[in-house]
Amino acid sequence: MKLENQLSIGLLTAIVLLAGCNEANSAAPAAQKSVTQQVISEESLGLRKTNLYTEADTTADKTTYTTSAAGESKKFPRAFQDAPPMIPHSTEGMLPITIKNNACTGCHLPEVAKDMGATPIPPSHFTDFRPSESYAIKGVNTSSETMAHVSIKTKKRLVGARFNCSQCHAPQSTGTPVVESTFKPEYSDPDGAVKSNWNGSRFTEYLDTLK
Amino acid sequence: MSKMSISRRDFLKSSAAASAAAAIGMAVPSDLEAKSNAAQSDWRWDKAACRFCGTGCGIMLATKGGKIVAVKGDPAAPVNRGLNCIKGYFNAKIMYGADRLTTPLLRMDEKGNFDKKGKFRPVSWQRAFDEMETHIKKALKASGPEGVAVFASGQYTVMEGYAAQKMMKGGFRSNAIDPNARHCMASAVVGFYQTFGIDEPSGCYDDIELTDTIVSWGSNMAEMHPILWSRVTDRKLSDPERVKVINMSTYRHRTSDLADTEIIFSPNTDLALWNYIAHEIVYNHPDAIDWDFVKKHIVFAASPVNMGYGMRREGEKSLKDGKYSAKEMEIMAKEMKKVVSAKEAPALAPYGYKEGDVMVNNPAGLAHWEISFEEYKKFLKPYTLDYVAEISKGNPDEDIKEFKKKLKELADLYIEKGRKVVSFWTMGMNQHTRGTWVNTLAYNVHFLLNKQALPGSGAFSLTGQPSACGTAREVGTFCHRLPADMMVKNPAHRKIVEHSWKIPEGTLNPVGNQHIMKIHRDIEDGVVKFAWVNVCNPYQDTASASHWIKAAREMDNFIVTSDGYPGISAKVSDLILPSAMIYEKWGAYGNAERRTQHWRQQVLPVGDAMSDTWQWVELSKRFTVKDVWGEQPLRGGKKLPDVIAKAKAMGYNENTTMYEILFANDRARSYKLDPEDPIQAGFDNSECLGDSRNVVGSDGKVFKGYGFFIHKYLFEEYADFGRGHGHDLADFDTYHKVRGLKWPVVDGKETQWRFNVKYDPYAAREKTGTTHAFYGKLAKALMQGDLNGVKDKTKKSLKNKAKIFARPYMDPPEMPDKEYPLWLSTGRVLEHWHSGTMTMRVPELYRAVPEALCYMHPQDAKEKGLKQGGLCWVESRRGKVKARVETRGRNRPSRGLVFVPWFDEKVFINKVCLDATCPQSKQTDFKKCAVKIYKA
Repeated sequence: MKLENQLSIGLLTAIVLLAGCNEANSAAPAAQKSVTQQVISEESLGLRKTNLYTEADTTADKTTYTTSAAGESKKFPRAFQDAPPMIPHSTEGMLPITIKNNACTGCHLPEVAKDMGATPIPPSHFTDFRPSESYAIKGVNTSSETMAHVSIKTKKRLVGARFNCSQCHAPQSTGTPVVESTFKPEYSDPDGAVKSNWNGSRFTEYLDTLK
Repeated sequence: MSKMSISRRDFLKSSAAASAAAAIGMAVPSDLEAKSNAAQSDWRWDKAACRFCGTGCGIMLATKGGKIVAVKGDPAAPVNRGLNCIKGYFNAKIMYGADRLTTPLLRMDEKGNFDKKGKFRPVSWQRAFDEMETHIKKALKASGPEGVAVFASGQYTVMEGYAAQKMMKGGFRSNAIDPNARHCMASAVVGFYQTFGIDEPSGCYDDIELTDTIVSWGSNMAEMHPILWSRVTDRKLSDPERVKVINMSTYRHRTSDLADTEIIFSPNTDLALWNYIAHEIVYNHPDAIDWDFVKKHIVFAASPVNMGYGMRREGEKSLKDGKYSAKEMEIMAKEMKKVVSAKEAPALAPYGYKEGDVMVNNPAGLAHWEISFEEYKKFLKPYTLDYVAEISKGNPDEDIKEFKKKLKELADLYIEKGRKVVSFWTMGMNQHTRGTWVNTLAYNVHFLLNKQALPGSGAFSLTGQPSACGTAREVGTFCHRLPADMMVKNPAHRKIVEHSWKIPEGTLNPVGNQHIMKIHRDIEDGVVKFAWVNVCNPYQDTASASHWIKAAREMDNFIVTSDGYPGISAKVSDLILPSAMIYEKWGAYGNAERRTQHWRQQVLPVGDAMSDTWQWVELSKRFTVKDVWGEQPLRGGKKLPDVIAKAKAMGYNENTTMYEILFANDRARSYKLDPEDPIQAGFDNSECLGDSRNVVGSDGKVFKGYGFFIHKYLFEEYADFGRGHGHDLADFDTYHKVRGLKWPVVDGKETQWRFNVKYDPYAAREKTGTTHAFYGKLAKALMQGDLNGVKDKTKKSLKNKAKIFARPYMDPPEMPDKEYPLWLSTGRVLEHWHSGTMTMRVPELYRAVPEALCYMHPQDAKEKGLKQGGLCWVESRRGKVKARVETRGRNRPSRGLVFVPWFDEKVFINKVCLDATCPQSKQTDFKKCAVKIYKA
């Protein structure tokens, strides 16, 4: 552990030295203890590397969503096990989702998805977890709810709470964030990067957190 | 309480996943079960609250090898039942940006001395606290307690907020602690205090499933409260004919997409629209008034109208020093006096004003008085359909007849007998120079119709931040507040707090006026010399931003920012401290439906980062009785008394530290660390036990932990203030067994509808013999008068009653004109949280919305020679920023208004915004200023 630390400090120092005044060096603030000689400019910190006190030289990162049509694009791996997948295709003409028109369902409903080459809407979206009538009216408030009150009903139609697809799924611009992510996905299922397996008994698995 | 805990605990113990599934009749294929258990056998799942908005969703969080690996919706969480929004799921990744702050950074010169103009260099925690101690002592000497300030937060955990509050108010005797929540819901709070005499909503989210009508006022719920919106959507789809959804907004956005009707109104005319509905009721449908309810539960009230706009006033130092340009002064002059416009003249006629009159503004405070119903009716007279439609139509391309039809439909839905109605609002009504007023106007309509504090009916203020309710409001981390709705100016309240904190009587400072804008202005004026930023980003999130970043860098002061990542506030600071982020510490949040939710520390913080609680507690070790409890000067010649002798009488001595008094006292030490406790077992606790990182602490030695359960102590001591006073919280342990509870929690049961005798034990206790008891205690005795003032100074009790206020339409201080022809509104987008410090570091969220766009009408763009995707300047009297033009996006303003979100450091829109506030709530209006737009 200690050795690793020293190595990473050494590496960081090397990067800082090599990079010189390269302001885009996002590793700089991740300085470790005892690197007292390290000097960090205000501009090198954070997401905006330009002068904060004028806007003359600052421009936002441009949005460049894919223009490939649905069915022709390469799917993104899920960010982690059962994470909502991001939209790999152009959404031009598909939004907004309205009460009369949800264009997403045209291709993603399970019965058509396979033929369309689209990611099928998974079973979790056909599962209603909300008691159909609020317990409130029946005099059950959530302080007296037990795990037995966890309501799981399978529906034939996409459940209403999941109608607004764009609240979880978003198109992706091609740019790179200024700062990298060190998050490492762990897929507990072999197909976890491409498929949600959150269904059946998994809905209630591990809910008892004091076991 | 205990009975319920035991039965629930027993249940939980016996309830494995499979048995829960069996209880609800699900088939569990045994092979699938075995497979899934094996696959995640080295994962640990635990419950937690989402880091982001005020909805307060529950999440299930998986860790493996000391890292978070996954998040899923929690089917047992009543708020969200197994579903999260995109930000909710990506809680998994918010702590893993590569530039996490891992060590304190101090601006220094080559020799290693602090240098305001120097660059940052890493320093030890010990050095960091040495510098803070030095600069706090310097600030106390120069300005007294008012010179030491804290930018606090609605994203503090309950424990952090309480620790900060104790040290600031009890230790430093400074009330200059105010949260970013001031920018977020202060108008809602004053609205609650004035109307109900007690803070926070009467209803709860169950109203959504129980109602027939959802009216969203100045609230893009589809993006800002996505899970509540999913509940609204579910309700709408369940009965599309009966359930009506109306979106009231100054521009078209996603909430309109599922609405039956969209009403686009001109900024600030929500005041007129609420009064129009009340006018319809009182003048055209008097039979709809529930007189029995109104007579028993309501009084009518009025307050001054000439109260200004919360901007700086003549004579303030920075104005005299010429720090404001002539352009800025054009608007700021209205703080002193203004000319009554044609638009507002009819509404102000009952107050004796006519068009062209000069209105002289004076600070009005919170004063109000009782008036008769007849006087209220006289006040309402101007709000005819013709007048209101004319001033409020917000889309110049909409036919006025069509618009009138929609207003009529809106009023009819509210009035319809037997129709339940919920009115939701957020920043549109709170960030408003008449924010307090418009909040109270919402209750008027619901009260007249007896559609408040009933299942499925009520006016419901939604909160922006995850613990704006839990920490900012309930803990009272505002300059004027103490826990549980107590106030610093009330001697009895101060005494209660001094007694609880075991500090001498007279320690607490009775003057609490340094709200967040005042702190910025005090820094610019040179009064505040030390400021500490906690869990917020005030240098990106405050309007007229250029002034504040300049004051931070150029004045003689010391600014400290504690954060997980280096945001703009960190950049303009002198010292940056690395903070543990949400799942790296134990914590609790309180959401917008009064639900308190706790979580456990899931992983160790990165580098040498430590929680804000730890930072406050370590700072408290540096200050002794003699440092802070002698006589202290306040502005205006006032003084805080020397309480050292009293402290000695209590058994302290001059050298007793604030740590020993406020944080490591006998009660604190009674909360034991116990590896056998099912709540603590197997979970890290970096503050109490230290951890395997062996962080070298504030004394230069490895920090080994406090040795007692400080989070539990802070929570229980804080919660005691509200127990028995309408704010009852359950005990610490219970919250680790349930998915949150809505206070008041009485006899183990939460409360769904406050003030309703059927549901709220506090209301029932009043034995009013009626359906309701509005038992809040603030401002519950009023003098009598008419619209123009007090006529009879005798105070009449309003016990168990609420108020309907006469409050007119008025213009905001800055409106579009020839030079600056467009309205600018700012706000958020779904994918980013506030200033983007966390979400812009999550690749999926960054790529979803990598930049803040300038959303505008295609015709406005065309007239200015702007192209879709091209760059433009957005310029006001205060500054300008560059942004790309978006004419086809999710926000689709009518001609005359542009919308620019504020999450993007590279589109620093708060340089453009105006720091005018509601003069009563001191909340900034980020929704209205005037700009010009041209090609960049």
